[in-house]
Amino acid sequence: MAVEAQKIAAPKPARGLRRPRPGFATTALLAPPVLWLGIFFLVPVVLIFLYSVNIFAFFPGTQGFSLDAWENFLDGSPFLDLFWKSIRMSLIVSVVSVVAAYPIAYYLALIASKRKYVLLLLILAPFLVSYFLRILAWKVILGDQGVVNTFLYWTNIRAEGDPVSWLLYSQFTVILTLIYVYVPFVALPIFVALESLDRRLLEAAADLGASRWQAFRKVTLPLSMPGVVAAFIFVFIPTIGEYFTPLLVGGVDGTMFGNAIADQFGQSLNWLNGSVLSFFLLVVVALLMGVFARYLTIRRVATG
Amino acid sequence: MAAPLMDIAVSRNGRRVLNVWFGILVVFLYAPLGLLLMFSFNDNNLPVFPLRGFTTDAYEAFAANAELRASVVTSAKVAAVSSALAVLLGLLAAIVLVRRHVFGKSVASALLLSPLIVPYIALAIGLLVFFNEASVSPGLATIVMGHVVLSIPYTILILVPRLARLDVRLEEASRDLGAGVFQTFRLITFPLILPALVSAYLVAFVLSFDEIVVASFIAGDATTFPLYLFSQLRFPTLLPQVIAVACIVMAASVLILVGAEIARRVAERRLLGEQAAEPVP
Repeated sequence: MAVEAQKIAAPKPARGLRRPRPGFATTALLAPPVLWLGIFFLVPVVLIFLYSVNIFAFFPGTQGFSLDAWENFLDGSPFLDLFWKSIRMSLIVSVVSVVAAYPIAYYLALIASKRKYVLLLLILAPFLVSYFLRILAWKVILGDQGVVNTFLYWTNIRAEGDPVSWLLYSQFTVILTLIYVYVPFVALPIFVALESLDRRLLEAAADLGASRWQAFRKVTLPLSMPGVVAAFIFVFIPTIGEYFTPLLVGGVDGTMFGNAIADQFGQSLNWLNGSVLSFFLLVVVALLMGVFARYLTIRRVATG
Repeated sequence: MAAPLMDIAVSRNGRRVLNVWFGILVVFLYAPLGLLLMFSFNDNNLPVFPLRGFTTDAYEAFAANAELRASVVTSAKVAAVSSALAVLLGLLAAIVLVRRHVFGKSVASALLLSPLIVPYIALAIGLLVFFNEASVSPGLATIVMGHVVLSIPYTILILVPRLARLDVRLEEASRDLGAGVFQTFRLITFPLILPALVSAYLVAFVLSFDEIVVASFIAGDATTFPLYLFSQLRFPTLLPQVIAVACIVMAASVLILVGAEIARRVAERRLLGEQAAEPVP
């Protein structure tokens, strides 16, 4: 859907309604959606902050402003280590996804010509398949009694009862599964960037004697960077707080920051700590969004 | 004309490498789903090799499982309501966002699109804390409110390009001929963007139907379909049944979305055809 939207929006015929000064009514249309996000997103963020400094507390009577939880967290707590581990894992996932998807996007945008939209749909279709199902698939494939291991027993490559156990419940599994989930998503913005490339620039480069590699390095790659960066952050930022994938296939080794947050609000019932972790995550996300803001405008997201 | 571009874009060997890489990625994307589908028809309570024979037991067991069917109905209700709200709110936002001069537009669009990027766990915790503080007991209604937040950016991203392409002269002509704002919307704008509204609704529906992170924190006693599947994972012998249902849902969502996309393209092509056939003098 997004592909189509990006494709047809490119020529920019009648952009927007030509009314230089919209009345109060126009701006008022924005109120309901903004209010909805305000109530169900911004107010909760403020509440999380208030919980994190103990102005609000889960158990009545225990509240009172305090930065103790923040100090504990920032002063070398295991949660901070977990955060850096999550950052490392997210970086691996986003870099591998972008590197794997770039040649695909390049192939579709510049080489596949007529069939490119059909082939793009082929790459994007798994994104329509249930998130849960896609993770479940890897659990079924990689378990000790999973597809890979039972196949190895069956063909006598490994002895029965001697499974390749690192396949499931490890960092490896989480990273593999996340790459699997995000690759189709990553291919899209890169494809859009490459597709909107003015082909005459490549012809000019060739006419001026550039080799293929030079043309790619000096023309194609720099012009596709906005798409690459957009793709990167659209994987990197959400995966820092990944919760469900590690829960299903991560085990102890593959635990991520999001699981720690969930645990504080679930089993540990420590809303104070949990709020510190959540608000910290939100601050990191906000900072990253600020750094990459120019790649996140509605025009770029919606129309390439 | 195309030849020099092809030459500068890729060498013959490079083309081969890219072909192979594309093939590998397609296998990587589809093999796990294919395996799931295969095991859903395997005559064994566990998804393991060797294959034992073809059966539709898992699918029949699903049909007989009342709890499971109830969870599908629950999710459908949540998705139906939340996507309707998300399309309505997304439409209002999109109408404003395609107009150029609105105070605070960039801040508003950043806020409205942020759920695309903010980790769902943070949104889920926020809602949990919020509903707790507001003394709203969690349940279907709270899931709906949360899912609207998640769906709004998607509906906006689908509606903005469609609205931006709308020929503004059609609306102006309608107003010049004496139609009011609402009449113009009902008679001109709405029919023109209807296909995009349907796409937006279906995307939001599938998103909500499938969503588990936010739902797991604010569901209360309600059991949505993904939550039910998750709770059943503890029992390995139920796995084929879970896979069977998941395969049905996979087939249904792919059919719905691909069908909607085709219908939208056909409808828009027809509209464009009509516009091209009657040029404005």
